[in-house]
Amino acid sequence: MFYRAEFIKPLFSQAPSLNARLLLAFMVSITLFLLDSRLNYFAPVRATLATVLYPIQVAAALPSDLSRWTADFFQDRTALRNRNNKLESMQLLSSMRLQKLQALERENMRLRELLGSSFRLTERVLVAELLTIDLDPSFQQVVVNKGKRDGIFLGQPALDASGVMGQVTEVYPFSSRVVLLTDPSHGIPVQINRNGVRAVATGRGLGNPLQLEHLPHNVDVREGDLLVTSGLGGRFPVGYPVGTVKSIHFPEGRAFAEVAVEPAAHLSTSRELLLVLPIEELENTAQSVVSMEQSDDTK
Amino acid sequence: MIRNRPQGRIILLMTIIIAMILVIIPMPDSLRLFRPEWVLMTLLYWALALPERVGIGFAWTVGLLMDMMLGGTLGILAFSYALVTYLIINFHLQLRQYPLWQQALMIMSLVLLVNVIKVIFTPMVASGYFWIPAVVSTLVWPIVYAVLRKIRRVFGVS
Repeated sequence: MFYRAEFIKPLFSQAPSLNARLLLAFMVSITLFLLDSRLNYFAPVRATLATVLYPIQVAAALPSDLSRWTADFFQDRTALRNRNNKLESMQLLSSMRLQKLQALERENMRLRELLGSSFRLTERVLVAELLTIDLDPSFQQVVVNKGKRDGIFLGQPALDASGVMGQVTEVYPFSSRVVLLTDPSHGIPVQINRNGVRAVATGRGLGNPLQLEHLPHNVDVREGDLLVTSGLGGRFPVGYPVGTVKSIHFPEGRAFAEVAVEPAAHLSTSRELLLVLPIEELENTAQSVVSMEQSDDTK
Repeated sequence: MIRNRPQGRIILLMTIIIAMILVIIPMPDSLRLFRPEWVLMTLLYWALALPERVGIGFAWTVGLLMDMMLGGTLGILAFSYALVTYLIINFHLQLRQYPLWQQALMIMSLVLLVNVIKVIFTPMVASGYFWIPAVVSTLVWPIVYAVLRKIRRVFGVS
């Protein structure tokens, strides 16, 4: 099988030589790299490639989906009952809190109306599921099973049950890519819930806490402070938990404090994401959209 | 009379697709950094065995798909896969004479080359781990080689 190439080698081959082909590959790659990293011309190309790759991603997610499904299927009765009891008590607690929250929400709206400021407290969300596949560990990204078809758009914020997870960076026809808070290229405007000090929390990669950027040494921040989204920048809705302050250092001779923040969302274990829809999008979305209250009821 | 028509195109593509699935199949977080470069190794095997079939264009396309799948900037893996395939095709006659452990070392240097290119062109990435895939790939290369050779012989890919 090997020998054919050596013995029957044409003297004058028509195809360009190996060196020429490598040079061509190099030129095309450089062009692609520059255009893709600097400009956004390649969105359609990326969408096409993503659609081609989607079956492979679904196939890769199959084993873990299957094992979870079997584990679900063969759960014994006592375990299910225990879980049900736990969920019922949690449901009771959260509906009690919700009642109080609704009263507070109404009061807040009334007060804001008195002040003459417009402010929306309720957001609507779309529930998307993660594809259980691993991407390059040097990027903190996930792929979800909702795409352009379902009305996902670029920059859409993603939450889980306990906090902000990240935002949508790329939208394909059947899937989309969400960059997590811990990605080194991601920053999110936050404020300390206790006193309203604003900052930007940036990611530091796999397994590392977030860092608050450019806080002076005399800033009022304590361990255990809750950070919520500040809504500045207009991308994330106001008031969702981002994380809690884990440790604070004031290094000598440096201009800024080093504040480490533990993300509130379960970035590596959450299976479902809530993708927040802005108010303008509400009119033209499909019936798959549920409001926050409804999704709380069904849980 | 030797039939000169290439055979087993589908088998070849299937091995690449299975390697792609292995690259993104979920693993525990602690093992994620130790994932071997399945697609690159499969590509290098075919370039070594059938240099007249698996060319630079094919390697470039596979690299482009990998760029897309792993979420990097387009063109980085495309170019580096094309480059290592070029090296393999250029030296395939010598490389085939090497014992398996020397081949494994060559695989290590090529995987290392790909990872170095990736780290250089990807901004803001913790770059201290780029050598790990090369070492792991070297260790599993004999298995990959044996399995793919079996596949090539059983299905008569030529």
